[in-house]
Amino acid sequence: MITRLLRSLLVMFGISVLVFLIFFATPGADPAARLAGRGASAEALAAVRHEYGLDRSLPVQYGLLMHRLFIAGDLTSQVNRGQRVVPAVLRAAPVTLSLAAGAAVVWLLAGLAIGLVAAAREGSVWDRAVTALGLVGISIPVFWLGEVVNLLTQSRLHDTWAFRWVPPLGYVPLFQDPAGWARGLLLPWLTLALLYAGVYGRVLRSSLIEAYRQDYIRTARAKGISESRVVLRHALRNALVVVVALFGLDIGALIGGGTLLTEVVFGLRGIGKLTYDALQNLDLPVVMATVLYASFFVVLANAAVDAVQAALDPRQR
Amino acid sequence: MLALLAAAPASAEEDRAALMRAHRGGTMRLLAHSAAGTIDPQVNYTAQFWQMFSMAYDGLLAFRKVPGPGGNEIVGDLAEAVPAPTDGGLIWLFRLRPGIRFSNGAPVRPADVAASFRRLFRVSSPTADSFYGAIQGAGACLRAPAGCALEGVTADDAAGTVTIRLSRPDPEFAKKLALPHASVLPDTAPDADAGTVPLPGTGAYRIDHYDPGDSLRLVRNPHFREWSVDAQPDGFPDAIDYDFGLEEEAEITAIQNGQADWTFDAPPADRLAELGARYADQVHLNPAYAMWFLPLNTRLPPFDDVRVRRALNLAVDRRAVVKLFGGARLATEACQVLPPGLPGYQPYCPYPLDLPRAQRLVAESGTAGQTVTLVIDGSPVARAIGTYMLDVLRDLGFVPRLRSLSSNVQFTYIQNTNNQVQASLTTWYADYASAGNFLGGIFGCSAFRPGSDASPNISGFCDPALDVRLQAALADPQGGAELAAIDRIVTDQAPAVVLFNPSYIDVVSARVGHVGYHEQFRWLVGQSWVQ
Repeated sequence: MITRLLRSLLVMFGISVLVFLIFFATPGADPAARLAGRGASAEALAAVRHEYGLDRSLPVQYGLLMHRLFIAGDLTSQVNRGQRVVPAVLRAAPVTLSLAAGAAVVWLLAGLAIGLVAAAREGSVWDRAVTALGLVGISIPVFWLGEVVNLLTQSRLHDTWAFRWVPPLGYVPLFQDPAGWARGLLLPWLTLALLYAGVYGRVLRSSLIEAYRQDYIRTARAKGISESRVVLRHALRNALVVVVALFGLDIGALIGGGTLLTEVVFGLRGIGKLTYDALQNLDLPVVMATVLYASFFVVLANAAVDAVQAALDPRQR
Repeated sequence: MLALLAAAPASAEEDRAALMRAHRGGTMRLLAHSAAGTIDPQVNYTAQFWQMFSMAYDGLLAFRKVPGPGGNEIVGDLAEAVPAPTDGGLIWLFRLRPGIRFSNGAPVRPADVAASFRRLFRVSSPTADSFYGAIQGAGACLRAPAGCALEGVTADDAAGTVTIRLSRPDPEFAKKLALPHASVLPDTAPDADAGTVPLPGTGAYRIDHYDPGDSLRLVRNPHFREWSVDAQPDGFPDAIDYDFGLEEEAEITAIQNGQADWTFDAPPADRLAELGARYADQVHLNPAYAMWFLPLNTRLPPFDDVRVRRALNLAVDRRAVVKLFGGARLATEACQVLPPGLPGYQPYCPYPLDLPRAQRLVAESGTAGQTVTLVIDGSPVARAIGTYMLDVLRDLGFVPRLRSLSSNVQFTYIQNTNNQVQASLTTWYADYASAGNFLGGIFGCSAFRPGSDASPNISGFCDPALDVRLQAALADPQGGAELAAIDRIVTDQAPAVVLFNPSYIDVVSARVGHVGYHEQFRWLVGQSWVQ
């Protein structure tokens, strides 16, 4: 447990150093002139440089950045002067969490349905149809699908009965208006989930088919257990081990900001959008905070996957 | 006749009062792709927030808040009138209007004015030197901002006056006093960039809340009483909500749906046809004092040779470039430095499209075969123009390369001489309507600072004698002809390829009425209504 924690910290330290160095290796990265404003005098530039510690050596700058991010918590943006980074990340987190969690529910249910139907009717028209559907889902890029969804629901068909209910793009907090929250997120959920539903359906199908060929399934059937029980209690439980591993990594990355494209397209100001804007502006403090936030969730998700897999599969305990 | 003249303003006032009764109230909903940085009016240097500051803050003087050319007129704001400077233009005596209060309830005193000018230097405002460097004591304040005393600005609270002493005459000083960086703030304002914390002001609105990751909200200033409809008019909407975060595509859709009233960002090119055909009434086009141009580095080969610079000017088909930008309604071809409408503007174009002549010039210079790298930003229009320029450079016999940088980095990158940029594509929007802003601001010696990211003279073009002539022409009220002559000289020297003068496109929702375009602050948001 302790080694795992230390290893995780080491990974995050490595990532932070990498982000820091890439930033300073980027041409035109020096933020002083952008901070000081167009045509600022040499004196103003020097003052800004000093204020933001940009006149210090790189290791000192790294130390200051980490200190202000993790200990003092008063790290501010280099683009929107005065904008505190930690509260900005904390405010964006629920948006991404809502998006990723809702989409996960959708794609798990859809993936389960696709996988079960396809595996139960292996080789049939049904199998081919749902597999093809899954493939389509995997192949459509989310930014394109999102724009098309917007084009239809916000623009071309916005005034028809079908999409009159679609609210303006943006996020409504869950505790402020639960119905508005769900209504606003429904289309982003479906858009984001489509890709994963296809992937999960296919993964589940192949591991179910593999499970059906195992001895213990034949034994279960020989004992006269009902088919649905064989599938759900025996085959599915084993097939889920693979799905859980996949899910853990996916959801970790998504909560950490992997929903970036969906957020940008649907105007959701989550972690992904924050990262996107910060990258466009070369806003090192914000980039650093969001990247570390993302890597934290990936590390956390890995640990959670191990625990769940141990619960599902006694051999891994 | 006299009676008629006297009656005119009264009826205008009555009209305005009637309009106020009919349309006052509601919330204006604005959009922008992203916020524009600090909300400190003395530090922020963006057109996006200057538009907001014009409704929330006042200086001693102001641009007249009317649509059309009248908007360039300077009027008294917190000061009763625009004073005539004495002592050869060095001493400016302002008498403050009595009874004006900040949005926190505190009265505006001469001491606040003096403190605000000191603060300008203490917070290292980007224009502290370029706009206000003529004030006595500015030099010391620039060197040591923390203890800035700025003896050139003195306040007399008893008399209600402020005196500003300059160390050299500045013909554009009145305009500079009307810009947001010269806003008057309470003397309790912190001596540091306020960041995201709104400072009290005197305008018709006060900034209620600002979160760069989310929104900006302006509400009515409870202590505001309209003292001059020209300087700071009362507004129609009760509140102005400014939301950040949507992509340009989604912003236009939201306006079409009536979910928002306006966007700061230009609409994407693929939506222009639809806007023109179906929403023509809601689209407002106004020429900006601005240009798109290619600065050519006069200190690096091959553009250190004036023949090569002229050749490139002759080889560019400006009509084609305008098409790439969106067509003739959105931009006007140009090949001179001054844009139309500015003092000294006289149409001049020594560079009609002439590829054979251009090729001859390059052949004479012996530079054919050299590599030329053009640095552009990543916007779709810049990429289109950049790709076109590759063809032009190839036609001239160069080996062209295109380098694309993120939009937010490119502008500082191309300014720094250390980056050895030969040619780049960029834009210049005037801070205020002034020929000096173009001729001196981009091609003056003082705007060239080697090794600095803040060196707007990207071409490195510097002619000290011309600078002297420019200062004299700017100081002379009848200097128009001289400015035109200087414009021609700079254009002939070709330190850049001027491409076109763009227009601002404002798309408003169907419910917005009384849209007026101001030469300095673009759309006068508070002077339009939503109900």
